[in-house]
Amino acid sequence: MIGRHKSVPWLFLVPGLAIAVVFFLVPFANTLVLSFTDARALGGGQFTGLHNYARLLDDAAFWLALRNTLLYVVVVVPFMVVLPLLLAVLVEKELPGIGFFRAVFYSPVVASMVVVGLIWSWMLGSDGLVNWVLRSLSVVNEPIGFLTDAQLLLFSAMFVTVWKGLGYYMVIYLAALASVPKELHEAARVDGATAIRRFFAITVPTIRPTMLLIGVLSAIAATKIFAEIYVLSSGSGGPGGQARSLVMYIREVGLGLGGEIGYASAISLALFVVTIGFSLLFIRASRGEEEVS
Amino acid sequence: MRNSARIVGAAAVLLLTVSGCGLGSGDAGGKESPTGAPSSKVTGKINFQTLQLKPDFDKYINGVITDFETQNPGTKVNWVDIPYEGAQERLVTDATAGTLPDVVNLNPQFAQPLEKEGLFLDLAKAAPKAQAMYVPGAWDSFQIPGKTGSYGFPWYLTSEVTMYNKDLFTKAGLDPATPPATFEDLWADADKLAKAGNGEFYGLHPALDTSFITDLAKLGVPLLNDAGTEWTFNTPDAAAYVDRLSKMYKAGVMPKDSLTQTHADQIEAYQAGRIALFPSGPNFLKIIKENAPAIAKATGVGPQITGPHGVANMAVMGLLVPTTSKNQATALAFAEFMTNAKNQVAFSKIVTVLPSVTGALKDPYFTDVSDGTIESQARKISAEQIPKAVNQVPVQFDDRIKAVVIGKIQLAMQGQLTSKDALDQAVKEANLITGG
Repeated sequence: MIGRHKSVPWLFLVPGLAIAVVFFLVPFANTLVLSFTDARALGGGQFTGLHNYARLLDDAAFWLALRNTLLYVVVVVPFMVVLPLLLAVLVEKELPGIGFFRAVFYSPVVASMVVVGLIWSWMLGSDGLVNWVLRSLSVVNEPIGFLTDAQLLLFSAMFVTVWKGLGYYMVIYLAALASVPKELHEAARVDGATAIRRFFAITVPTIRPTMLLIGVLSAIAATKIFAEIYVLSSGSGGPGGQARSLVMYIREVGLGLGGEIGYASAISLALFVVTIGFSLLFIRASRGEEEVS
Repeated sequence: MRNSARIVGAAAVLLLTVSGCGLGSGDAGGKESPTGAPSSKVTGKINFQTLQLKPDFDKYINGVITDFETQNPGTKVNWVDIPYEGAQERLVTDATAGTLPDVVNLNPQFAQPLEKEGLFLDLAKAAPKAQAMYVPGAWDSFQIPGKTGSYGFPWYLTSEVTMYNKDLFTKAGLDPATPPATFEDLWADADKLAKAGNGEFYGLHPALDTSFITDLAKLGVPLLNDAGTEWTFNTPDAAAYVDRLSKMYKAGVMPKDSLTQTHADQIEAYQAGRIALFPSGPNFLKIIKENAPAIAKATGVGPQITGPHGVANMAVMGLLVPTTSKNQATALAFAEFMTNAKNQVAFSKIVTVLPSVTGALKDPYFTDVSDGTIESQARKISAEQIPKAVNQVPVQFDDRIKAVVIGKIQLAMQGQLTSKDALDQAVKEANLITGG
């Protein structure tokens, strides 16, 4: 049947393609077109050429948000690639009660981001638990402004992102670790290789594709960071909005009755370029690995 | 408390239903309603949209709707309530699609950009006698700067009072019967309270999102030029005020984390006994009573601190009728019915808000403090302020401008910018946004 009618495979693809076209391609094309206009939430829509992009170049708030987003990716991704792997190696062994620990490590993943953000904002507040402990131990005299210093706020949000994401990537690593041939480990052990040597010589090379996948996934997630910073800063993005991410800035510019849809679309396109850039970087790195191997 | 409040509200509605509201808008034959809107053709279905009134006020709103439908046979009001969060996006979608409900509940900041697009009926023409019935400051809130006409029936009002924790006043050696009356008193009291609190409690929460711009207005700082097109608040007086805020923040008069927090956090801090002074709308007394009865019991109220010019601020809600409404006669009749004196007095008996109809403020309910409750005292104080109060938040002060301005002030309070630089930068960036 399929061989007789060339259109049949396309028919099977129609539902998926329709969703992709209606919910991804059309909005993307619309965003692209809007980015060349002065469209506002109410009114506007005249073609303005590259004006929005020229405005981006002079917009200090945009560059700060871009810097924060890039910093987020650079700091968070290595932690997201390495820490869940170590955690997965720890809980991989079939020990009594290990299921409990796996569940505990995974539990932040299923918690609502808003709830997680609120809990951490209480923990990290100037009168919160962390500052209380530090002051009780006389480590500091004055509370540390985890939520009121823009840089510390950004790093606090990164910490929350890593803490919340560990369990998710741990599960992916557990699946990958199950595919590492046991006989290789046994042979290496017979040859006298230590656990650390076996980890770097056998485990890591075998699961390298998974590490790259997690790198791409966590990088894309980090470029779109919003909720952690938003909740920890009560929506302000820190003092003067100095810890704002690109998504937070897009929201601020584009939403509401006074929203500048055209300009927000141009910033969205910039975010798209950043996201694609990181993905290409990882794909290139992946190909490089393949060629070397 | 909530149940008893609802019972009182329902009883008030029942009383009004029995007594009849006397609008007479059900009569045919081209009669006029009290506001001058034509009351013929008041029939058919309309949609009525409110901002975050469900589920607390279901009984009251449904009661008024039933009264209206009874008095105007053939009418049907479909009530929709939307949460405050996301309301702007909903309004943009509806406005763009031409599907705004027939009667829309908005505050002046939400209304203004829609009014500018010509989306609402000009009540100066559609209901020419309405203006005389409403509190002048409330009526003016729905005007577009530089243009004639007005676009909203003022609905319920709140006018801030100075709430304070008498127990913490006593701990700080302050007289619990004497709330601060001026800004200088407020700051001096806050300083003493914070010193006494020593980290356990503080004097003030800045709540810059709601207080900063109104405090500047109260201090006589010109916020905008006469045409309402350019921001002008970078004055020496404003700089002195920012310096004062910075000094208090650095001295620990305010909690450290309050810098980037909002009015919602201010309420929480007051309820938790973490701050002693809480200048805000008396409508929050109900929430404090429900969430923190001990704090409510220790709460005293004083008049709003108004600055040297003595002009009080008030927050206004209004009802507007879109030009796209297919049933404008019924929409106008319903909006004026919902905002008439009797219905607004009944609403004020459920929650500590005030009516926008001048005559309604003369109701003895607003001067009676014989029950000895904090709510009745707050009601009396704020009702006395209302006739001369104005909405001091310019309608142009939307979320984006607020974010820019408050952001610069936060940096000044942290010491990253001087007060002058912060205000200059805030004015420059706000003007870029206002100018499009």
